[in-house]
Amino acid sequence: MKTAGSKCFIYAFMLAGLFVIAEPALATQTHSQPEGLYVHQIAHIFFIISMGSLEFWLRQRNLTKEKGWRYIQLAAVLFILWNIDAIAVHFLDEHLDIFGIAKIDLWHIQFDNPEGQDIVTLLYYLMKLDHLLCVPAMFSLYYGLKTILRNTVADQGDNPAP
Amino acid sequence: MIISAIPILLVDLVGSFLMIILSLLSLKIVFRLRKQDHDNLIWTYLWWICVALSCFAVSRSAGHILKNLFLLMDQKSVWDVVRPFSGAVNTVMFVVVGSVTMFFERIWKIYQLIRKDRQALRSAHKELLYLAQNLEKLVAERTSALAVSEYNYRKIFEVSKDMILVTDREGTIVNLNPSGYNLLGLGGKEDVIDRRKILEFLKEPEMWLTIMASVEQERSPADIELDLIIRDNTIKRVLVSGSMVDRTDNETETFHFLIKDIQKRKMMEEQLAQADKLASIGELSSGVAHEVNNPLGVILGYTQLLLRDEKKATDRYADLKIIEKHARSCKAIVEDLLSFSRKSDTEKEMLDIHKVIDDVLSFVQHHSNIEHIALESEYSPAVHPLLIDEKKVKQVLINLVVNAIHAVGKKGCIMISTDIRAATGDLVVKVSDDGHGIEKKYLKKIFDPFFTTKPTGEGTGLGLSVSYGIVKNHGGYIDVESTPGKGTTFTISLPAAPSHQEN
Repeated sequence: MKTAGSKCFIYAFMLAGLFVIAEPALATQTHSQPEGLYVHQIAHIFFIISMGSLEFWLRQRNLTKEKGWRYIQLAAVLFILWNIDAIAVHFLDEHLDIFGIAKIDLWHIQFDNPEGQDIVTLLYYLMKLDHLLCVPAMFSLYYGLKTILRNTVADQGDNPAP
Repeated sequence: MIISAIPILLVDLVGSFLMIILSLLSLKIVFRLRKQDHDNLIWTYLWWICVALSCFAVSRSAGHILKNLFLLMDQKSVWDVVRPFSGAVNTVMFVVVGSVTMFFERIWKIYQLIRKDRQALRSAHKELLYLAQNLEKLVAERTSALAVSEYNYRKIFEVSKDMILVTDREGTIVNLNPSGYNLLGLGGKEDVIDRRKILEFLKEPEMWLTIMASVEQERSPADIELDLIIRDNTIKRVLVSGSMVDRTDNETETFHFLIKDIQKRKMMEEQLAQADKLASIGELSSGVAHEVNNPLGVILGYTQLLLRDEKKATDRYADLKIIEKHARSCKAIVEDLLSFSRKSDTEKEMLDIHKVIDDVLSFVQHHSNIEHIALESEYSPAVHPLLIDEKKVKQVLINLVVNAIHAVGKKGCIMISTDIRAATGDLVVKVSDDGHGIEKKYLKKIFDPFFTTKPTGEGTGLGLSVSYGIVKNHGGYIDVESTPGKGTTFTISLPAAPSHQEN
């Protein structure tokens, strides 16, 4: 009669065998470098969709009439803008050679874009300052939550819970 | 063109620190929110959002800070090792934040449902608490209100002057108020209505089906007129209003009726119509009498002038006498008509009515053959002298007594009684006989001028009309009650003299 311990041993042995005995099946797909970037960009898009849905439902449920939730709505909008900015910067960072942008060192950037295309230079430079969007977004979230907390405390003072 | 990247680096570093600080501060705020109300689903949701955002902010900002530090320290190779991990963690954090955020609508819906249920529970709890604390008081209040209401309705049922009747569909009496007992002449005992049906009291029992059909159709029909037969076969005209009461407790359905006795009203209406009719006839009679009176006076005057110059034994004298006799008859009729229409002059004085009646009885006894007729009188000592025209009142009484003698025939009893009506102080004189009575169909006509049931030549039909006019001229009224085969009673009501009215 087999004991529980001997059963566990047999299963562990068989599992170890899978790694030891197995040879390359060549059935699994190899993941080369651009996949990581695509996943990251898709995650940004998913982030945009989720923030968009939050903004939509906040308006739909009339929560934006309250100051606190209005700030959270603003945070969602700023996060959407930040994600768009981040997607664009990631794209440009991967295609610097096309737009004639080159990072010389940590402190300098070189632009070799043709005449009249200074707008690309300016845009890239501004978009690199993405914290100017995500920090206000996070602040807006913080301020919104703080307002909600203040109102909740005030409400409980007026109508103490039974 | 070479541009400095320092602003980018500075914004990156400062921004990364601020992101970490702000995300942690947000986390702290939500923590306090949750502390306020630990069961609040929205605070829990915001807690998860902030946790995810903090992880995202920390991982991203830490990555950015490390990157800049490694590059500043010229350790690009190290950064190249860390970079994929930092990027992967960032990606995962995006997905986590996004996933949590996507649940907002569902969470909000659940939260609303929970809040609604919680409010319903709270109000139910409050109500239960209130009921538990005040149940005894509430029950007492409700019982008292119910008792008051029941008393009020019972009082209405008992003191109502109209009959209130409750029956089932077949007409079996379920309940009857005291006025109902009186109206139906049942006395006051409840057992007399046991299992009795209202149909027994209807003159036309088939009317019950009509009433029930009206109740079915109109739910609460009103003002159905019908006749009830009560004790001694007396018929009373009533007005019926009804309604059906649906029972919710599977008991037999009941029908409620309000029955109003309109017999007196009907009689008054008939009397009023009779008075109107007589007044109209009076106007007509008076007009005719006035017009006829003058030519009659001329005929009588010239006839008397001619008689004065004529010898008595001649035929011409006899003819003139016949003209005079009939002219006088016509004049008497004209005077009667004027009496009926109340146009004749009256000479009223304060008199004792009992003396007047005695004179009348004495006159009748001496001038009529009434050996087997008892003439009785019954006087009330409360009667005071009255302001009356002696001649005319005597005429009325003689008319009534003579009519009574004719009704009694050879043997019978005639009674004249006096009394005072307590409510008004009016004098009431009743002339009753036990004669053959008057048929009901004649009762409405007996005061009409020239109406008589006597054979032609025996009466002018003006006696009662003249009596009616005289009594009316005294401010009173005359009424008649008669049962064929049993007798008749004429009732004269005369108003008390002014001095006694004041008393």
